[in-house]
Amino acid sequence: MLRFFKGFGLFSFFLLGAVAVPAQAAGDLLVAPTRVVLDGSRGTEVVLNNIGAEPATYRISLEIKRMTAVGGLDEIAEENASPNERTALDMIAFSPRRVTLPPNQPQVIRVGVRIPEGTPPGEYRAHMLFRAVPDAAPAVAADAAKPASTGVSIALTPIYGITIPVIVRVGDLGAEAVIGDAWVADTADGPAFNFGLTRTGNRSVYGDIEVTRPGISEPLLVARGIAVYPEVSAREVSLRVPPELAAKLKGPVRIRYTEDREIGGGTIDQADRVVK
Amino acid sequence: MRKFGMKRAIVGAAIAALALNAPAAHAASANGTATAKILRQITLTNTSALQYATIISGATASTVAVSTSGAATCGAGLTCTGTTTAANFDVQGTNGAVVLVGGDASVTLNGSLGGTMASTLSYSAANITLGATGGSFQVGGTLSVGANQTAGDYTGTFNVTANYQ
Repeated sequence: MLRFFKGFGLFSFFLLGAVAVPAQAAGDLLVAPTRVVLDGSRGTEVVLNNIGAEPATYRISLEIKRMTAVGGLDEIAEENASPNERTALDMIAFSPRRVTLPPNQPQVIRVGVRIPEGTPPGEYRAHMLFRAVPDAAPAVAADAAKPASTGVSIALTPIYGITIPVIVRVGDLGAEAVIGDAWVADTADGPAFNFGLTRTGNRSVYGDIEVTRPGISEPLLVARGIAVYPEVSAREVSLRVPPELAAKLKGPVRIRYTEDREIGGGTIDQADRVVK
Repeated sequence: MRKFGMKRAIVGAAIAALALNAPAAHAASANGTATAKILRQITLTNTSALQYATIISGATASTVAVSTSGAATCGAGLTCTGTTTAANFDVQGTNGAVVLVGGDASVTLNGSLGGTMASTLSYSAANITLGATGGSFQVGGTLSVGANQTAGDYTGTFNVTANYQ
């Protein structure tokens, strides 16, 4: 089996060399579902699949991320974790943590939760990171095809992965959100549609945004999977849009923030705004 | 492109098979009820590398920049040859889903014959909204080349993540 993969690797190396395509790092991946909410002792499963053309080894870990006021997720080193974040890391168990998969081979990651007695009610969250371990020996040496030169050649290998939130809810929690002002602004990467979201309560809010023009049924803009996490009481949502849509969005609009379709799709907040 | 579509189909089938397995184990006395749960998924594919190509350093320190669209700016005193590209990542998932893009801001490269270089990294977007055919983001950078930089093959790794919120 191993020999087969070795042979395959060698073969594809030659193949890549022959057509002079830069060697791609193996590690393309699929993760499903994209969000996990646990509220009790029951666990769940997450599927990881190697969608690359070569075998790859993936590492699965829990990371801490904090939401910023502009809606980004800051990476936090484990030693800087708050007590709440530490609790989240300790209560979430998962297995396996490392897996080697041939192409198109899915693997189930079992996720369990152990809530210690006396854990205060609240929402505990960590982000599960799936990413490929880069090949142990990057092929730098012994490149006979390239004579030594005075030049400098550069190979940058990305180590890329996917994170999904794993949320544990303890106790009876509630939260609400209110839509603030909305405006269109130019960013370095083109125009963006922006609005504020204010959150109250003791858990996160999560849902889909739909922007419609009164009298027109077809929505102008749909953005799914927008969260406001408990560490922020308000965030800005900035969505890049094509210039023609940016122009269309200006004027009176109705913004609707609804819960995830999987849990009923109820309205969290709805507001009529005039977009500047 | 066709190959990719095929792959997706197989992935779907594999997940459906996994989802089917679980209930079947419990259904000892079932009357043949078939259930399947379709999970929301996200895929991340690296389709091109961040390439600074080959650089011949000069007597003074300078920089080479590769924009997120792949265009190169060769600094004064340097000779740049070869084709530069920005790193490209394709993301597929639920239509309309917003995916946050995260990653290292800089990377250190080590030379095969000694010496190091540093490169800053720039991302084409902080978040992307997936369309019916998914979405993509690019990573460019600016490489600082020292005066009479030691020749050799320089390698480095940097972290990139696609994050669901």
